[in-house]
Amino acid sequence: MADKPSTEDILKKIRQQSAAESGAAESGAAESGAAESGAAESGAAEKPADDAPASAETSEAPAAEEKAVPSKPAAKAAPKGTADILASIRAKGGGAGVAESGASADAPADKPKPVAAPKGTDSILASIRSQGTKAGDTGAGDAPKAPVAKKAAAAVPAGDLPPVSEMLQQMKAGKQSGVTAKPAPAKPQLRIPTKPAKAAAQPETRRNFLVAMIATPFALAWALLGTISGVWLLAIARFMFPNVLVEPPSRFKIGPASDYPPESVSTKWTAARGVWIVHTTQYNGKDLIYALLSVCTHLGCTPSWLEGEQKFKCPCHGSGFYKNGINFEGPAPRPLERVGLSVAADGMLEVDKSVKFQEEKGQWEDSKSFVDAALV
Amino acid sequence: MTGPHPNLTPSVIFGLGFLYLILFCMNVAWTVRSYKKDGEVHLPSLLGGGHAPFALWWGLYSALLSMVTFAHFTGSGNPDQFLISLPDFIKAPIDALVADPRLFFGITLLIFIGIIVFRRRLATPTAGWILLNAALLFLILSMTDYDFRQIVGKPDNVPIVAMLFIVGFFTWLYFNRANENDERAAKGLPPKESENNEKILVWPDLVYSELICMIALTAFLFFWGVCLQAPLEEPASSVKTPNPSKAPWYFLGLQEMLVYYDPWLAGVVFPSVILGGLMALPYIDFNKKGNGYYTFNERKFAVSVFLFGFLPLWVGMIILGTFLRGPNWNTFGIYEFWDVHKLEALNNINLSEYFWGGFGMALPTNPLIREVPGIMLTLAYLVFMPQLLAATVFRTFAYRMGFLRYMVFSNLVLLMAALPIKMVLRWSLQLKYIVAIPEYFFNI
Repeated sequence: MADKPSTEDILKKIRQQSAAESGAAESGAAESGAAESGAAESGAAEKPADDAPASAETSEAPAAEEKAVPSKPAAKAAPKGTADILASIRAKGGGAGVAESGASADAPADKPKPVAAPKGTDSILASIRSQGTKAGDTGAGDAPKAPVAKKAAAAVPAGDLPPVSEMLQQMKAGKQSGVTAKPAPAKPQLRIPTKPAKAAAQPETRRNFLVAMIATPFALAWALLGTISGVWLLAIARFMFPNVLVEPPSRFKIGPASDYPPESVSTKWTAARGVWIVHTTQYNGKDLIYALLSVCTHLGCTPSWLEGEQKFKCPCHGSGFYKNGINFEGPAPRPLERVGLSVAADGMLEVDKSVKFQEEKGQWEDSKSFVDAALV
Repeated sequence: MTGPHPNLTPSVIFGLGFLYLILFCMNVAWTVRSYKKDGEVHLPSLLGGGHAPFALWWGLYSALLSMVTFAHFTGSGNPDQFLISLPDFIKAPIDALVADPRLFFGITLLIFIGIIVFRRRLATPTAGWILLNAALLFLILSMTDYDFRQIVGKPDNVPIVAMLFIVGFFTWLYFNRANENDERAAKGLPPKESENNEKILVWPDLVYSELICMIALTAFLFFWGVCLQAPLEEPASSVKTPNPSKAPWYFLGLQEMLVYYDPWLAGVVFPSVILGGLMALPYIDFNKKGNGYYTFNERKFAVSVFLFGFLPLWVGMIILGTFLRGPNWNTFGIYEFWDVHKLEALNNINLSEYFWGGFGMALPTNPLIREVPGIMLTLAYLVFMPQLLAATVFRTFAYRMGFLRYMVFSNLVLLMAALPIKMVLRWSLQLKYIVAIPEYFFNI
């Protein structure tokens, strides 16, 4: 695409157009013969001449002028102060002839009220929206006061040019038809042939360029961030699988069953391994040996075995457990947990801390959770 | 008398002498102040009648203190013969009162109500000074007990003792200022704060005072850090828990809550509700009075509810946790030896066991059916109580707050009330959990 024009080129062309328009406005004013209003108009038109959106305003001016000349109030109907101009610019927004035609229609009819043009934000917005499709129609519909209005409405689209922002928007949206349709009947020279050509050739590449300009760094940054945090997450997850575990193995032998006499609680393994070895008939009448985990079921403190009271008592919140591990006082909601206990091949008892048995779930019935003292 | 745990030793007597000396100096200063400000009183006929400055009483009291100080400094050589100590017939009833959490909670409630009811009498300078003297004398006399010294003198607990005095002072200060403004309001005068509101400069006035406070506080912290050694213990072990095992002092209220509620409630939900609720207070409050000045009469409900949550429920629980909870989390009197083997009957029963047992039935095996009574009670408490309260005691509140604000407010109040309710149920009915589903780790 050798003929791809730069943004600067486009802006230059737009400026040229507006200059041509303002020239047209001036000439229109001169033709009408209303000297003062023409001067005011051209002054207003010239000032923002190099400003793209102003082109819309200026293009309107002659149209209004033409209708307004015959009567005196015309001068007032035409925008005089900056406020009026601004108001009309705003009212026109999309470059509609509505406001202007409304004003021109109003002016001769009754009061010289320049504000009469925009009927209200609603109507303006509505007209702007409808302008997208058909400029002339709405203009006529909005200003039905005087018969002139129709003429104006018909004439207005001629000088009608949407602001650059809107044109850009439409171009981006790929709606060349709207753009071409509007300016088509008016100020013709370069615009008609050039604009659509540009619009047709350009938007794709420029959009791509913009998208690439904006999106690439973001995409890169996000991709980078995602990758790095992913690696970090993996690295953190790696800590869950240490190479070396500096803790005693979960299976360990605790000597023969004869080391644990009936109705006793052995604290021999509590300090090192966190289990009590209990030999009692108090759970279900059978003579069992089992290993209780020395972790309180309330909040995880280590209870102490009180030989005198024959109970486990937690120092943190006062939970108490019977010798068999069943909770009976304080806030602990469930019995102590058992860990696995079995008789190894050499006849020694072997604790397996990797499995746990909870009484409230009925797991204490599991034969892996105890050793029957009668069988050893 | 001189066993392994002597109540009095020469060094203790000598040290207490210094405390009496400080108290004496404070009261001499107060006597001077009283002479200038307090005016005269009518003497009883026993002392010959007539008028005398009120400061006379303070002078006599100071003189007594000076003699006590002298006795401590001179009589420290022979502890066995030293007479100024707390006798057992006073210690025993105090122990009996505070060692029972029910009585302790009752006492804190009574103190709270007393503060509000007698605020006009208690919040005067003279009454405040008498209260301070009483508290200090109680502390000094109690120090003659070995077990009390062990608790209060622990480096962990020294700041808590200081905090109690600070809480007392600021409560007194509030009521003092509020009384003054309430009296002014009764006379139709504006609050005192609106009179003396001349603006001063941030620089240098405010910044300088802040700088001085900062330096003084830093110096104090250095002094403290040098004087009291950090209470470090042996290396931590996952299979050995100190007995008793106490949270930091500011969390002792939460730890006490954990005795009555499951960890997810007392450790997660209630603390979040406390924080969220305190943040929500300004949005719940529709009373525009009391903004920028002290007052009680214009904000009776708000102040009372806040003080109830703060004094008996928070500070009271900190006192209970610090001074009264001993080994195995049993409660002990302040003069009682911390016996690891103290036996307290705490057999607790779940509501479901009460309920189904009351019908003579076995517990249903399905936990949800088993806990139906507790679940219904809890739902009724949280769903219907707000409506009930709105129709009765909180009628104007419900009307002025609107539905949403009222629901937030009433639920906050109900959740705050949940703690004392559960405590009383535990103490009176041995109730362990209202809803007990240990299968799913859900207990209330």
